[in-house]
Formats: sequence, C-alpha cells, structure tokens
Amino acid sequence: MSITPAVQFDLHRRMVRIRLFEEAAGRLAEAAKLPGFLHLYVGEEAVASGICGALNDDDHITSTHRGHGHLVAKGGDFNRMMAELMGKSTGYCKGKGGSMHISDLSLGMLGANGIVGAGSPIAVGAAFANKYRGRGQVAVAFFGDGATNIGAFHEAANMACALHLPIVFACENNEYGEFTPRDKTMAITDIVDRAAGYGMPGVIVDGMDVIAVHEAALEAVAKARAGGGPSLIEAKTYRFYNHHGVQNLGLKYRSDDEVAKWKERDPIFTLEDRMIENKVATRQRFDDIWAELRNDIETAIKFAEDSPLPTSDQVLVDVYSANGGN
Amino acid sequence: MSTVGIIVNPNAGKDIRRLVTPATHTSDVTKVGIVRRAIVAAAESGAERILIAPDTHRLGRRAADGLDAPVEIVDEPVTGSRFDTIGAARRFWKEQVGAVIALGGDGTSRDVALGWPDAPLIAISTGTNNVYPVAVDGTSAGAAAGLVASGIVSVADVARRSKKIVVRVDDRDSSVDDVALVDLAFIDADFIGARAVRDPSTITAVVAAVATPASTGLSSIAGRIHPVDRWESGGVFVRLGAGGRRVRVPLAPGSFTTIDVAEVRPLAEGESITLSGRTILAFDGERDLAVSPDGTVTVRVESSGPLVIDVERTLVRAASALAFDHSEKDDHGH
Ligand SMILES: Cc1ncc(C[n+]2csc(CCOP(=O)(O)OP(=O)(O)O)c2C)c(N)n1
Ligand SMILES: [Mg+2]
Repeated sequence: MSITPAVQFDLHRRMVRIRLFEEAAGRLAEAAKLPGFLHLYVGEEAVASGICGALNDDDHITSTHRGHGHLVAKGGDFNRMMAELMGKSTGYCKGKGGSMHISDLSLGMLGANGIVGAGSPIAVGAAFANKYRGRGQVAVAFFGDGATNIGAFHEAANMACALHLPIVFACENNEYGEFTPRDKTMAITDIVDRAAGYGMPGVIVDGMDVIAVHEAALEAVAKARAGGGPSLIEAKTYRFYNHHGVQNLGLKYRSDDEVAKWKERDPIFTLEDRMIENKVATRQRFDDIWAELRNDIETAIKFAEDSPLPTSDQVLVDVYSANGGN
Repeated sequence: MSTVGIIVNPNAGKDIRRLVTPATHTSDVTKVGIVRRAIVAAAESGAERILIAPDTHRLGRRAADGLDAPVEIVDEPVTGSRFDTIGAARRFWKEQVGAVIALGGDGTSRDVALGWPDAPLIAISTGTNNVYPVAVDGTSAGAAAGLVASGIVSVADVARRSKKIVVRVDDRDSSVDDVALVDLAFIDADFIGARAVRDPSTITAVVAAVATPASTGLSSIAGRIHPVDRWESGGVFVRLGAGGRRVRVPLAPGSFTTIDVAEVRPLAEGESITLSGRTILAFDGERDLAVSPDGTVTVRVESSGPLVIDVERTLVRAASALAFDHSEKDDHGH
C-alpha cells in the first residue's frame, strides 16, 4: 500500500487549499472585513488532509471551532465558505452562521461547532446510522486536545466502543487550549493513553507529516469500514497563528522559539521538498499549483464581496423548523 | 560513588502498529510505574546515586515524585527526538554510571548504543517488536542495576557483550554513521512516514545480527530460515524476491505473512556488505533514513554492542553472596 504520486499531489493540494484559504481569511479579519470569530488552521493542514484523503465523499466528519481546514480538506467550496465568513446570503449558511457553523451535507461535513467537545457525539450518531444502514460509510470526529477533557468526548468514546461503531476519533493535539498549555489541564501527556480506557486502540502520529497521518488514517478507516470498530489517532501538531485570528490578543503564552521550531517542520514545505527529491515533482509544478489555487481564492473573495447581505425578512428563515420539527 | 542511570523513552509502544496488529499499548502510567519500582529497588540494592534522563513527558520526574531516594534528573536538552536518549547515554558515560536501565523497544536500545557503545545495560521492553530488550519488572531490573553499580556483583560475571550492526551511508553530499542492534532493512518506499514497516512487498533486503524463530519483526524472516543466536558471532543477510523459499513470518506482533526469500547469506563477524541505490533504511524496524539513487550503504555485524546485564543471574549471584541478608542499615529505614 505505497502512497502513489497521484495521492501525494492530492494530499498536497488539500493542504495548500487550506493554507491559502486561512491566510486570506486571516488577512481579511485583520483588516476588519470579516465579522465574528475566526480560528485559523494554519500549521495543522496535514491532519485534516491526511485523514480526509482517506475518506469517500459519502463518509461523514464532524468538526470544531477550528473548522475551515476540515471542510476544505473534505472538498468544500471556497466561494460559499468565503461568503459565509463575510456574512453574505450566498454563503454556506446563507450568511447567518459564520465561521463556526459551516457545514456541507453533500460532502458529509456535518458541521463546524462552537461548543468544544460537541462534535464527537454527533459523529457517533452518524456512525450509528451508518452501521444501521449497512452501506459501509465511516464517520470521523475531529477534536482538539482540550476537547478530550470535556464530558461529551468521554460519553461519545464510550458509546462508540460499546456499540462497536465504524468511527475514527481524530485528535489534533496542538498542545494548547486557547492560551493554556496542555500540562496545566491534564495529568497525562498523550491523549492516546485514554483510548484503552474505552476499549479501542490508539496511535500517535506526527501531525506535521501528511504521509504519516495518511498511513494511519488508511488503516483506521479500513478497519472501521470492515466492521473492526473505533480507533483513536492522535496527531501531534501545532497552530502557527494565535488561538483566534492572526494576532489574537497579543498575549504571551508560548515562546517565539517554540513557534519557530514548529514552523521549521511546515507540513507543506517538507512534503514538497521530499517530492522534489524523489523526482516526483518539480518546483515549477508546485509554483503552478500555488498560483492556480491563489487564483481560486481571489475569485472567492470577489464572489463574496459582490454577494448581497441577507435581507431582514430572512432573519428567522432556517432557524426554526416551520412544522415543529416533524 | 555507585551510580545507576535510567532512560525512559516516552514514545515507545504507541505507534501505528497498534492499528494494524494487536501490539501492546504502553501508557505513561505503566512506564512511570516501572521506573518508580526500579528507583526503589536500585536504592535498596546499593545505588548511592540514581540519574534519570529528562524526557518530554517528564516520566522520570513523575516516577521519582515523593520518593526518598537519591534521584537526580540530569540537566540535558530535551528535543523530543532520539537525541534525548543518545545524549543521556553519553552523559551517563561521563558520569561513570555503573548500570543503565533503558525502557523502550529495540530502537531505544539502539540509541543507547549510539550514545554509549559500551554501556552496561538492562533494556526493559515497553516497545513493539522487542528482540533486544527483555520483559522484566522494574523491581528486579532496579535491584540488578543497583547490585552491579555498587560492585556487590561484578559486571564481568553477569554481563555479556552483545552484537551490533554498523551502518555507513555515503550519499551525494553527506556521510552518516549509525547502528542497529537487531536488524537493518532496505525498504522500497518514497517516505519515512509513519516509520513502522507496514507493507511486506516493500522490503527488499534485511541484515540481522539477531535472528531467532522466536522473535517478531523483520529479523524473523532470517530467523525462520537461518537462525542466528544473540550470543554467536556474525549475522545473516537475506534478499527478498521470487525464486527461493517462501516462509510464513510474524512481521508484527500477532500478524503473519508470506515472504519470498531469494537469497540467504551468513555474514561473518566484521564481514561487510555493500548495497547501492535509492532506498529507505529501517533501523530495528523503523524507517529512519532516505538514501538517494547515488548513495551506498555499507553494513557489517560486530561484537561491539552494549554489555547486556543478565538480571536473573545478577540476583542469583547476590543471593549466594548473602547480599540480601538484613543488615544494620536496614534498621535505619534504608
Ligand atoms: C464547552 C466550551 N467551553 C469553552 C469554550 C471556549 N473555547 C473555545 S476554543 C477553546 C479551546 C479548545 O482547545 P482544543 O480542544 O485543544 O482545540 P484548539 O483550539 O487547540 O484547536 C475553548 C476553551 C467553548 N467554545 N466551548
Ligand atoms: Mg488544542
């Protein structure tokens, strides 16, 4: 099961799409052109890309407050994403959700989520439905290290194992919850140590290495699809920007040296270097890919800027069910 | 002063192999417990100083927490890489440590051997394929380390020189010297990736210093055709490919596969073998170094590995020397 050049380019493309979307969103937010909060995924691209690259379109994912990367990796549409961030009526939630509510059911992306820990039980529900229907679909729950201290995560992990569901728990351990280092909020270092407590295997992968993440994801997804039950993948990763936005509050909670060390292992550039060394790609080819995707981003920004805001008569539309939920 | 050194690899026993095979997960709590038992036992058995290597997970610190034992966490940089183990082993050599306890898999012992080639070593298995380390409790390991470090039992009586695979890679613009303790495999892959060798069809050749039919991992290929005991000199080279024998081997714990072996060649002590061309080298089961199409890899098996302390033998010696009899110092809550 070696990773073919086609797969390498696919993983690379997913990562570059995330990077470019997030850089653009960060710039727009700093320029006060986006309303609302924005948690950027820059630095963690290998996790969403390596895992979503192992999924089919009809597999499900649940996401987090740091959710753009997950949707982009699952194939999300730049135009509708950017429009949503700008609160425009052409956005994924018609401009009424913003960054933390984006979803795309056609891609199996069941929603970003502003409530830390809340995505995992939703993925368990999807996994239960998938098992019940018997169509071989898998669900993946993405969540942070901090989320594993929330009750909902534990209930979800327990139930997934008790029911032997086709699910992968994908932890993005970036060592911080907001501004608090992981060792101030838990007595263990590896989230994966929790997996055995529910009765599932757990593995650690280098979350800065998309190939490593993808290899683990292929195994975990194949196992789930074949009826082998849940697993947990802990990807050790790092966010290059602040908790939200680029600058955030300017709080000093991690050293410049630490940030610089992680940036040296930039997941996109290390993959590019390796592919060039292996003579699978050239610098020119990568330059072309970046240019093409940059163009897509410019188009999306233009699309969003030109789109109208929702009108006031839309305030309650899609918010409450018209027929009481029946 | 009689000194015991302890290294615990926080990363051992947690990699991708747990998804594919029923390999053991070794939690931090398990590792901390082993180290704590080793500290108590080493202090009980004559160690006057117990040095512990710092690690990213602070496992050594946690193990020593609240213990009335002469423990010091040595001041060495922590990088979260193999250099933590290599650096600690070198430091232990400088500190004239009498016995080293290392928790991890084959790869951890390999790093000790690189940092301190002559280390008097007790390697405790907390990894995946453990050919080199042994399954022994911290209590017995700590006791043996204390007895050897304090000279109550002579290291010459209970330790044996192990083998190692000496590896030199000459590539485009660099040369690398490294070692393996059990096996060195040549992998046809483009990436180091998740490190563990998952796909048997990518293995092109294996050099083994220890190859027994009782082990799991890459060395079991040679082990099931041409066994080489850990104490006999020399090793074995196998080249994979059609045309020769087909053997069933446990490439990972609880997981068997059929391997086609084209060539098997015994390697005498010090005899070198050179392979050229693009490959990924897996040291003791883990992909670790990419070699370009212009590179050459020269390998030989030597009897120059760490001095492996036999835990049971040490304790038997101590018992016959009456070293466990209650003495006055035991009355002072030693
Ligand atoms: C239930 C809940 N509690 C607190 C918050 C505030 N909050 C937003 S993000 C965050 C940190 C989450 O950390 P982690 O799960 O590690 O994800 P990361 O931001 O590091 O990606 C917190 C505490 C929230 N949104 N929801
Ligand atoms: Mg976090």
